[in-house]
Amino acid sequence: MIGKTEASGPGRVDGWLTRLAGYKRRYLAVDGGGGGRLLAGLSTMSGGLRRVFSPRHAELLLIFEPVSHKLAPSIVELYQAMPQPRRALGVGEPGPDRFPHADLVRLEDLLPGLERISDSPGGPRQIEQRMRTLPLRPDQVSSKPEFVETTIPVPGKQEREIATEPVVLSLGPIQSLTAGPLRLLLTCDGEQVVSAQTEAGYAARNVAYAMTQACGPEVARLASLLDPLAPIAGRIAYVQALEQLQRQEPDLVFRQQREAALALERAQNHVRWLIGFAELLADDRLTVAARQLDAPLVDASTAFWEPSPTEWIVPQGSPVLVRSGRHKDSLARLATEICALRSRLERNRVLALRTAGIGVLSVHLLRAAGVSGPTLYASERGRGDVLGRLLTRLDEAAADLRQVAASASTFRSVEGREAVWSAPSGKAEVTVAGPRGQIGLSLASHGEGPGQVTWRRPSTALLSLIPELLAGQKLADAEVIVASLDLAMAEADG
Amino acid sequence: MNGFSVALLVFSGLLFGAYSIAVLEQLITLGLRHLGVALVSPLAEAAALLRQENLVPRGADSLLFRSSPFVALTAVALAALVIPLGPGLFGFDPSIGLFYFIVVLGPFVIAMMNAGWSQNAKEGLFGAFRAAAHLLSYEVPLGFAAIGPVMAAESLSTVRIIEAQAGLWYGVWQPLGFAIYLVSALFMTYRRPFDIPQAGSELEGGVLAEYAGPRLLLFSAALRAIFFLLSAMGVVLFLGGWHGPLLPGSIWFLAKTFALAAFLLWIGRFLPRLRHDQMLSLAWKGLLPASLINVALVGILILIRQGGGS
Repeated sequence: MIGKTEASGPGRVDGWLTRLAGYKRRYLAVDGGGGGRLLAGLSTMSGGLRRVFSPRHAELLLIFEPVSHKLAPSIVELYQAMPQPRRALGVGEPGPDRFPHADLVRLEDLLPGLERISDSPGGPRQIEQRMRTLPLRPDQVSSKPEFVETTIPVPGKQEREIATEPVVLSLGPIQSLTAGPLRLLLTCDGEQVVSAQTEAGYAARNVAYAMTQACGPEVARLASLLDPLAPIAGRIAYVQALEQLQRQEPDLVFRQQREAALALERAQNHVRWLIGFAELLADDRLTVAARQLDAPLVDASTAFWEPSPTEWIVPQGSPVLVRSGRHKDSLARLATEICALRSRLERNRVLALRTAGIGVLSVHLLRAAGVSGPTLYASERGRGDVLGRLLTRLDEAAADLRQVAASASTFRSVEGREAVWSAPSGKAEVTVAGPRGQIGLSLASHGEGPGQVTWRRPSTALLSLIPELLAGQKLADAEVIVASLDLAMAEADG
Repeated sequence: MNGFSVALLVFSGLLFGAYSIAVLEQLITLGLRHLGVALVSPLAEAAALLRQENLVPRGADSLLFRSSPFVALTAVALAALVIPLGPGLFGFDPSIGLFYFIVVLGPFVIAMMNAGWSQNAKEGLFGAFRAAAHLLSYEVPLGFAAIGPVMAAESLSTVRIIEAQAGLWYGVWQPLGFAIYLVSALFMTYRRPFDIPQAGSELEGGVLAEYAGPRLLLFSAALRAIFFLLSAMGVVLFLGGWHGPLLPGSIWFLAKTFALAAFLLWIGRFLPRLRHDQMLSLAWKGLLPASLINVALVGILILIRQGGGS
């Protein structure tokens, strides 16, 4: 990708040209694993930003922390391939500060001129503003980390009919098909994918080990980072495991509230996934419809709980009063809108051209791989193709929203108890229904906090299916199929 | 008017057309409320690309890589010469104007293929193959769709075709040919849902993946200019060209061209990107037979008309 400079363009830039150029920024996004939510939010911003997929077309490199050593060379290579003037913007706390036990790099060491937004309380809007005002400049990257390129053997020429030569196409590790980095190596004979390999581990943060090194509420915070797109699921899994060790059963009210919080998170994830999927299909109308669902859902979900779930999902109760249910009507209305969208999509024959009959997964295969959640439901209820997974996710989102709206009327404010963070000796096993399937947590304690933590991650099970799923498919379908699995690589890599 | 003035006028017109298409794209995506953003965005993008360095990928075929954007833009500029903006407002009016238009636009696709092939990158190569498949898909139906107006006007001259529509636009009694022309125009300009040679995330921009800075700007301008041009040719062939009441002919022509371009952009929003094999199926199994039927229908209608008149 690296090229040579032909002209000293930046030196001839006039001031007015620079100011004018600042109205529209083209950016290339790198999601190290924790940026899924912000990136999805950023895609809904209209006007001054445009996401591109070739480094040659970008002037800003937007990097979401954390960045592993394995991912670092790709980031440097991307940055070097960008034409000058350019700039890199990091989002989030530096990875090594957050996960000291993981093999992470400090972005400032990789890209010396990096600008950083450590915390983004303003969300995507704040990032958008920073991107638009960040001055670009010509710079050089001094050195590049060692990069071990993965190579796979290419089958020999097929001389029987027309001589063809297969090529290996490397998609990723930075791509938009999954939340977080994943490298797909596709051996293609023309547009036909002959075989596929995946290379994961780019978003590994060693969350399980970090949990064993922490104590108290910090462990719950780490658990919520397992899947940055579903922090409540990870947190609830840990809190439930702790309660199991403590041999305490939470009140019915709290159990219901936790279920509702999980359901809201699942619905949000499904709608966010739909935005990305529609963008991938280049279906503007579907993208707009998904965005129109996302914005009110985010507003209603944010305002639904007071305080936020991370404050009251604690072992053995809640330290504060929980007021909820103020937005149950809007949630019920959103569920109806999702159902209406689903009906429209089911009748959309053009959408079916691109999504029906491809990426079919049998129930037997999914169960053998340990897959659960919407991907399995789609195969149980229908043909299990890409269209089926799309419709099933919408069904699930609508059902979750209805469940929350219905149960909200039973919620009542309860005087909470102090959280108990101790982890008595023993072993606990819990399962929580996350957006991508059942998240399992096995927790062993010797009385001084988590001694051994093992996660069962739904994305890992899905990842193992990709080679079989893509072999024999068209190249243009391969990305649609992978995107339909809704992989969260941070969760898969742990 | 000397040759240089004509060339300058045509080139300025094309740039204006490309800019207008970029504004239309923004308006259709963002809505009319964002008119200010839509007007500024293309200029801002152009300014950003102008100040970027011009990169040539390592191992690229330098001559083809550098020349492709110029070839694309030149092809579009040469084709624009036969588009009459109004009575007497055209570069030149050869008796084979429409034939000239289709032939001269051929190098545009060659430029796209060269751009993909010359990059020394697999993404570009795949994009080039897809562009080649595109060429096979639209060229024949486009030619057959354009035959209808030629048969009716009994001329290949673009000016004569417009003059022959003084009474009734061909689009009114050749709706099938018009529809085929519009679909073929979407094919030829790599617009949604037929934009797979430039597939965003999958091939990182496909044929344009390795282009940056001013060359990318030239290519973007050429792609928008050809879209503008094919919309204008649609107006020439099917929407009566400059004919219209009250307003000057050139105003009518531009208004119809922008309305047609907006319609095509709007239609593209309703459809997800099609796979290359689906595009080929559509072209060979749908558009080609339909275009042949259209030629037969137009011939029958002309015979009936002539028979009625005699």
